[in-house]
Amino acid sequence: MKYDVMVVGSGIAGMESSIKLGDMGYKVLLVEKEASVGGRMILLSKVFPTLDCASCISGPKMSSTINHPNVHTMTYAEVEQIRRGEDGRFTAAVKQKSTFVDWAACTGCSDCQMACTVAVPDQFNADLVPRHAAYIPFPQAVPKKAVIERAGTSPCIASCPAGIKAHGYVSLIRSGKYEEAFQLVLEATPLVGTLGRACYAPCESECTRSLLEGTIPIRRLKRFVADLHYGDGRGPGVDVAEANGFKVAIVGTGPAGLTAAWQLARAGYQVTMFDSAAKAGGFLRHAIPQYRLPHDVVDQDVANVTAIGVEIRTNHAVHDLEALKAEGYDAVLVATGTPRSMALGVPGQDATGVHTGLKFLRRVSEDDLPSIAGKRVVVVGGGNVAMDAARTARRLGSADVRVAYRRGREEMPAHSVEVDEAEMEGVAFEFLVAPVEVLSDASGAVTGLRCQRMRLGEADASGRRRPEPVPGSDFVLECEVVVSAVGMEPDDEPYEKVTGDARGHRIKVDPLTLQSDVDYIFAAGDVETGASDITHAVGHGRRAAYMIDAWLHGRELAGFPLFDDPLGVVDHESVLARQQSYTHRAPVRPGTQHSANPVGFDELEPAMTEAEALAGSGSCLDCGVCSECQECVRACPADAIKLDMHDHQVEVEVGAVVVSTGYKLFAADLKPEYGYGQYPNVITGMQMDRLLAPTRPFNTILRPGDGKVPDRIAYISCTGSRDKQVGNPLCSKLCCMYSIKQNQLIMGSLPLADVTMHYMDMRAAGKRYDEFYEQAKDMGATYIKGRVSKVTELENGDLRLRYEDIENGGDIVEAEYDLVVLAVGIQPNRDVERLFTGEKLRLDEYYYVAEPSEELEPGQTTIPGVFVAGTAAGAKDIVDSILHAGAAVAQVAAHLTQSEISEVVPV
Amino acid sequence: MTTSLREPREIVREEPLMQRPILEALADGPLTVPAIAERIGHPAREVVFWVMGMRRFGHVVELPEADDDGYFLYEAFDKGDAS
Repeated sequence: MKYDVMVVGSGIAGMESSIKLGDMGYKVLLVEKEASVGGRMILLSKVFPTLDCASCISGPKMSSTINHPNVHTMTYAEVEQIRRGEDGRFTAAVKQKSTFVDWAACTGCSDCQMACTVAVPDQFNADLVPRHAAYIPFPQAVPKKAVIERAGTSPCIASCPAGIKAHGYVSLIRSGKYEEAFQLVLEATPLVGTLGRACYAPCESECTRSLLEGTIPIRRLKRFVADLHYGDGRGPGVDVAEANGFKVAIVGTGPAGLTAAWQLARAGYQVTMFDSAAKAGGFLRHAIPQYRLPHDVVDQDVANVTAIGVEIRTNHAVHDLEALKAEGYDAVLVATGTPRSMALGVPGQDATGVHTGLKFLRRVSEDDLPSIAGKRVVVVGGGNVAMDAARTARRLGSADVRVAYRRGREEMPAHSVEVDEAEMEGVAFEFLVAPVEVLSDASGAVTGLRCQRMRLGEADASGRRRPEPVPGSDFVLECEVVVSAVGMEPDDEPYEKVTGDARGHRIKVDPLTLQSDVDYIFAAGDVETGASDITHAVGHGRRAAYMIDAWLHGRELAGFPLFDDPLGVVDHESVLARQQSYTHRAPVRPGTQHSANPVGFDELEPAMTEAEALAGSGSCLDCGVCSECQECVRACPADAIKLDMHDHQVEVEVGAVVVSTGYKLFAADLKPEYGYGQYPNVITGMQMDRLLAPTRPFNTILRPGDGKVPDRIAYISCTGSRDKQVGNPLCSKLCCMYSIKQNQLIMGSLPLADVTMHYMDMRAAGKRYDEFYEQAKDMGATYIKGRVSKVTELENGDLRLRYEDIENGGDIVEAEYDLVVLAVGIQPNRDVERLFTGEKLRLDEYYYVAEPSEELEPGQTTIPGVFVAGTAAGAKDIVDSILHAGAAVAQVAAHLTQSEISEVVPV
Repeated sequence: MTTSLREPREIVREEPLMQRPILEALADGPLTVPAIAERIGHPAREVVFWVMGMRRFGHVVELPEADDDGYFLYEAFDKGDAS
């Protein structure tokens, strides 16, 4: 894209420059980092000395800017770099930030921001009130379009292999939207109750709050909403698309299969699931003990699937995938998991009393295991199945349960919580021990397990140190029961001859598309990945459903955007850097009671109370800002919310650049003696301007400390100006006048209020400025010459000022006020320093953009073709900013004419 | 006297969470900010953030006149009456 001029910043100077250059016939690109043009002026109450409404003046200017035929405006965009070429023209990289809203469709109705569940300080109201992550900058915004503020994907969401929007349901719960939270999880998977209990919660490991006092209880919050939903006896309550005529067979009813069935059935597919077991659920029912995951919870989750029309055929093993195709299924999904336990591989492994871990757990789940009460049990293995088997054995009355594992505790693949809880329940551990032989008596019954000691050698391919036997270290663990939990693998009987096997008898499919070489056969879950966990299986089920849908509708099987094209994850440090301090919040812990002699299979972990749910969810730090709760998506009548948008970069070529990046306000907390940030009733001049504006954040002028209408209001001038202590010796030029303006407006709004200004010098040099000052005095404002040395807060929130009263003898005086306004000065916006590459835009000794010939060539900078307009070059009021913009425009025109690098002939 | 103030971002973040206790406090009738603060057990300065946020997003509305002490009363906004 080529333009004659690029203007950076759309405050009053930027808008004025753009309009005037556009009027002259130049093609202008105006780049603004916020979502609306207008800069700070549009946020002011009125302007001095005329007391004209700021928005009445600025509004039309904003409209003219955005609608000017020669001005192209990029809002919510940032100039990343500008480089001058040998021909004198400039190339610039401009980042168009994602608004996550289709502005062509957005009507500016505000429904999204009303529905949003994330609150952040409103920078357009000087942080006095919340705005939401979905927001329209301010009522007079031009363009008046919504933006969703997203810093990235929240770590809890990014870490979830199931793609569940944890941040979203947490923010819904704290907003009291429990059913909406349940539905948000249900969007991903029908297994809400299951995941609320049996998930290992990688989200909690990544929770930024864990770097403070502890993670928020994300998993248990999910259980909380599941318990509420199921407690009401409701069905899933979701919409199902009209039948699309396609039939899909899913073999296996574990988490991958159920999730895929859920997604496909909702999309209009006729889905039939097959399982060789008598009840659906796969490992959820047969491998996870009920003290962790009760069967009625699995039943409730499975019922979600059948409620939307999925047929589940149990006691129905599938041996022939091709036969399913012949029966009329358009696609077949293999989701059979890893049902085969690996054998111990030692002599005696077939003795009576030796079980594989999966069969042991399954028989217990089906109440089919002969009693092991009083028997000694050795569980071989270090994974989660081993832990489940050991803890189950404890509940069955065994005399003693030992886990024998060939590596050390640190190398155990089981989740650390499982290991800890097994220990609490009286399970003993034998580390660095490997089985050598199962010993048995004459009847063939187990009498012991001969083992040998191991030591750790070099790391193997998995990165874990390889266990090596210690010669001569054999010993016997006496026992009557041995449970082998040394590994699991798929049963490849249905697919081996159709799709072929990958490593470890897994089905051979493309890992991205999950499609096999037989195009109608897809796979998901452990049968493709090997033994993993529920969340990975759920994620796989979602991917498989997406791919089957794409394939059956003739779409390209490219990536799954949910997992393959996400917004980058927010890093913890940047989240924590948003605040200087954090209040301690006690983590919400489950309070599970573990017995060293556990009895029965009742669910161990207690349900969460509503108070705990609110306390837990209320601790969320909103890492990504937007929580992806989808409330805006539901609320938007124009279907304009597009959370999958990405930033993009635009390269432009221009003949000249106008820098109109404005100023920054002095950070008032750098004058601690005035109490800003410590005392709530000390505010800045900008905050008072917002309180005075028609679009004010409060219902009137109130003090922020308690909402009281203030009677006695003090101003302290030169806060951060003419002050070498804070490194700014310059006068900000406009603080005296904006204070006087506010004095008058306050007296208009609060006729009974006393307004006093403590000043060093009154600088009212401008047309009608001094008259304006006199007018304020005539209205009743008091002006006291002398520096305020200290502000102290009183018990009731009032403020005591200690100051020197120069014109009345120079005494040190104290006075009390309801509200103190700091007339903060302005400072250079040093963001401008990073704009240019190749050559440096020189700044003056105060870090404003330098104008080498300020008196004769105002607006010119040290880079030919780069001009400065407004307060980027130094403190100016609005009038002077407009004048300065006019000068910059003239310089631009002269430059383009002289250098003949304009793309157009000026009119 | 204030000893330490929580950061505005932290207070503001709790606005969705605090809507319900504030609305419950207003169930018996309109209250001033200090009265709401006393009812829900939070500092008045924090309640100002939450009440003004709730006012902005249509959950509460102020009565027309401040009381003799200079405090406005806020009441729950009945969205059923919005039409």
